[in-house]
Amino acid sequence: MKVLYSNITKAIKAKPKIENLCDDLTLIGIEVDEIKSFQGDKIIDFDLTPNRGDCFSVKGLARDYCAYKDKKFSSATKSSFKGEKKFNKKINLFAKDACSAYSAVSISNLKLIKKFPDHIKKTLKAAGIQSIHPLVDIVNFVMLENGQPMHVFDQDKIEGDIEVRFAKTKEQIKILGEKNLKLTKDCLVIADEKEPIAFAGISGGLNHSVSKKTQNFLIESAFFHPSIIKGKARRYGFQTDASQRFERGVDFNLHEDALKEALSIIREIYQADISNVETIKNKYFPRKKIINISIEDVNLKLGTDFKENTIKSILNRLEIKLMKKNKNNLTFEVPSHRFDLSIKEDLIEEVARIIGYDNLPQIKNDSINQHYEKSDYDFINQIKTFMTNKGFNEVINYSFLDRQVLENLGIENKSIAIKNPLNNSLSVLRTSLLPSLATNLEFNINRGQNFLSIFEMGKSFSNDTHMEEINLAGLIYDDEKFKNWNTNQNYDFYYLKGILENFFAEFRIEKILWKKSQNDLLHPYASADIYLKNKLIGSVGSINPRFIKSLGLNKAFLYFEIKVESLPLNDLGKLIAPSIYPISQRDFSFEIDNKVSFEEIENCIHISSKNFLIGTKIFDVYDGKNISDGKKSIAFRVSWGSSKKTLSEEEINKEANLIISGMQKKLGAILR
Amino acid sequence: MDLDALKANLKKDFQEIVSQDELNQLKVKYLGKKGRITELSKNIKNLPSEERPIFGKKIGELRSLYEDLLNSVQEKIELQIINESLEKDQIDVTLPGSFKSQGKLHPLTITTKKITDFFSSKGYLIEDGPEIESDYYNFDALNIPKDHPARDMHDTFYLDNGNLLRTHTSPVQIRSIEKRGAPLKIICPGKVYRSDADKTHTPMFHQIEGLVIDENINFGHLKNEIMTFIDFFFGPDTKVRFRPSYFPFTEPSAEVDIMEKKSKNWLEIMGCGLVHPNVIDMAGLDSKKFSGFAFGMGIERMAKLSYEIEDMRSLFSNDIKFLSQ
Repeated sequence: MKVLYSNITKAIKAKPKIENLCDDLTLIGIEVDEIKSFQGDKIIDFDLTPNRGDCFSVKGLARDYCAYKDKKFSSATKSSFKGEKKFNKKINLFAKDACSAYSAVSISNLKLIKKFPDHIKKTLKAAGIQSIHPLVDIVNFVMLENGQPMHVFDQDKIEGDIEVRFAKTKEQIKILGEKNLKLTKDCLVIADEKEPIAFAGISGGLNHSVSKKTQNFLIESAFFHPSIIKGKARRYGFQTDASQRFERGVDFNLHEDALKEALSIIREIYQADISNVETIKNKYFPRKKIINISIEDVNLKLGTDFKENTIKSILNRLEIKLMKKNKNNLTFEVPSHRFDLSIKEDLIEEVARIIGYDNLPQIKNDSINQHYEKSDYDFINQIKTFMTNKGFNEVINYSFLDRQVLENLGIENKSIAIKNPLNNSLSVLRTSLLPSLATNLEFNINRGQNFLSIFEMGKSFSNDTHMEEINLAGLIYDDEKFKNWNTNQNYDFYYLKGILENFFAEFRIEKILWKKSQNDLLHPYASADIYLKNKLIGSVGSINPRFIKSLGLNKAFLYFEIKVESLPLNDLGKLIAPSIYPISQRDFSFEIDNKVSFEEIENCIHISSKNFLIGTKIFDVYDGKNISDGKKSIAFRVSWGSSKKTLSEEEINKEANLIISGMQKKLGAILR
Repeated sequence: MDLDALKANLKKDFQEIVSQDELNQLKVKYLGKKGRITELSKNIKNLPSEERPIFGKKIGELRSLYEDLLNSVQEKIELQIINESLEKDQIDVTLPGSFKSQGKLHPLTITTKKITDFFSSKGYLIEDGPEIESDYYNFDALNIPKDHPARDMHDTFYLDNGNLLRTHTSPVQIRSIEKRGAPLKIICPGKVYRSDADKTHTPMFHQIEGLVIDENINFGHLKNEIMTFIDFFFGPDTKVRFRPSYFPFTEPSAEVDIMEKKSKNWLEIMGCGLVHPNVIDMAGLDSKKFSGFAFGMGIERMAKLSYEIEDMRSLFSNDIKFLSQ
């Protein structure tokens, strides 16, 4: 809300420096967004919180300021205007608690007798309200000053009497700005005998609005209940000065006085025939709210020991009057402009606000003793630190991206779309972290990077039972022609697999299986799917070359993605004391069919040598010179040991021979 | 040759030795088959029996002198050999190390951790909740019913499956109360989403939110917790002010500002307040028995202040030159 500094000083009848005024208002919860110079004056732009409808005017701000400064507020709206002619339309209030009071006045034969006041024009301009018609300008000015929205109709366009009622089925209204609104039954309208002439409390109808040609005017000033106005304008995608005020609550005792104030201004500037102000109130007129509170309530919540008099006098400054006192229980009445006060805590905040939050005590409290629990968050941080120790830089990407990107990769299945995206490039939630990391790669390559090693931990989303799960994904790209002088690291599948093996070891995850990948995103012959107890938990390998181009790249990269939530992460476990007896080792080299996997060889060793076996370490795989076509040479070291004794030469020879014969029989391998 | 002369010769010979070869020759000269000491030892049997023990003893002394000299010279020569070979191993210590393999955590991760570490040490449990939320947890349970003007403060992304992306971490408060009951002390970091984008807003950002629920929690407790945190995060001489604000889920509500040291401008850093009784009741506790406080801050804002970052969006550009600093 934009307000002129001079209008505020007029209303508070004092002239504090603008900085001091703004500081004081800020400290009572009226936030100043910006101060700008304007025609030798200043515009203060307030960022009002939605609870404080009462501050949505110059006088509202002034009233709160005076309460804080303990100063008498003497600018309340009061007008004793009297019209000459009789108002000759009937007003029917059919929507009983939605509109419980309605005032109207007719004006005709308007003739300007004085220059239209500059300060009205200036005030409207400062507030960003367009000048439409002098009468409209005047009611808008009164709204800015007092907070009461009013509406001016072209009376000649109104057919018959006026009624305030809910919209009928399929009723429509064209509002200012040529928008045609299809009204629903919970929309309140002002209607004549034929059709709605205004969307009550929100906007006038275009067909009944004033123009330069208008001869006879009807001004409406009413009380519409906030619960009826709330959210309605937003539903149709707009807001007006009136809707913003009514949905927060406009003083229900103001409508008649505000209208009379507008009429007094009109009378000063114009010669005109003005009718009496016709006011219809019904028995559903809001009753004043009552709040019961004790002094102890206040002190318990604020940690203070205020006396009854302090609290009473602070609330009194805010026009919150003590009605009744029964032992400890105080009964206060909420003034008609405060829609935000309904429970004890609201009054406690009022006391705190006027005392000043900074003047309230600070109190130490250690009453709660909870046992520490290791959280998912702790594990996530541990994983992140593990990744940085492996040379990966952490990235954080948006959770949404362009649907087209998912479609290009064939991973749009079960994706969740955003109904109201900021733009198309942020229209769907990611089903994998791959596109985000690939985008980071493209971005960094374009900025001259030829090596990248990054990871992200974030959620991927899909329309499954669990709509979201935390994934860990990493990418390595290496296109460095000139590496560091002393480095010849080969970034291949095995490099990344090694990191993941370390990862699983770090968190004590056993029984991991690596199988040829079925993941379409990866190279079909140079990547693996990772299984934990028959459950697919991720994939690792080179990106499928057919996606390189659509990802905006020229060269493949290595990638992995793991579903972290499905892992039994654990950083503590049983430690086994090593045997005190020496370990025996033998090296073997076999020529074997190229298609036999290491997994099969390892299994064969385990089946062949059943006693004392500790493990197998592969140290060479070779298929070049001196090896027949379709064969490879594979060399490994086998270790045996016992926790009970030192193994004898005969025992080891026996096991070694079992491996040689097993390899030969089961896999057709020949010892070299 | 008498023994004294031999002794003198022996000392002299060892003094002149500079290489392993010379030393080897010397070994032959004294203790080889025809070595001087060897010869003398052979002569013992030719001596009269009464002289033998004395002579034998002298030979023994000579031998041990020989051994001592040999050992010390041998040691000297070995050291000399090592020193000579070391020089050949000379490297350029100013050449860079083999491979820089340390990655960096994202500044937002580091900032979050700094905050959670503080609250963890004060006994808060760290909780998280889903990023896809229902209308109920994101709004209704937090005292923001449909059509509430406060929903305007949250530009919400709605999803085609009827849910929404959480606009704040506050739903975790409700989920945690439902799960754990009271008393309760939690801190919840996480991603949140709002349909807003400019220099100071990104459509996804991070919040961290704290909640304390117990009997007789008051505004003084809230102030103390916030002040201790600000001392820790921004330093003990940071100027702080609390000012009234409005959140549907707290009453009274406050914003906390700190004074920027250079510009002397007030900067908003967090929102807080006493938990609204409706929220406590809706989460299944009795607001007549329990009260609480809650506070929340934007992690980007905190990171921006600690790292002196100008444009919030650089936190999401994922430029490796920025991240690997």
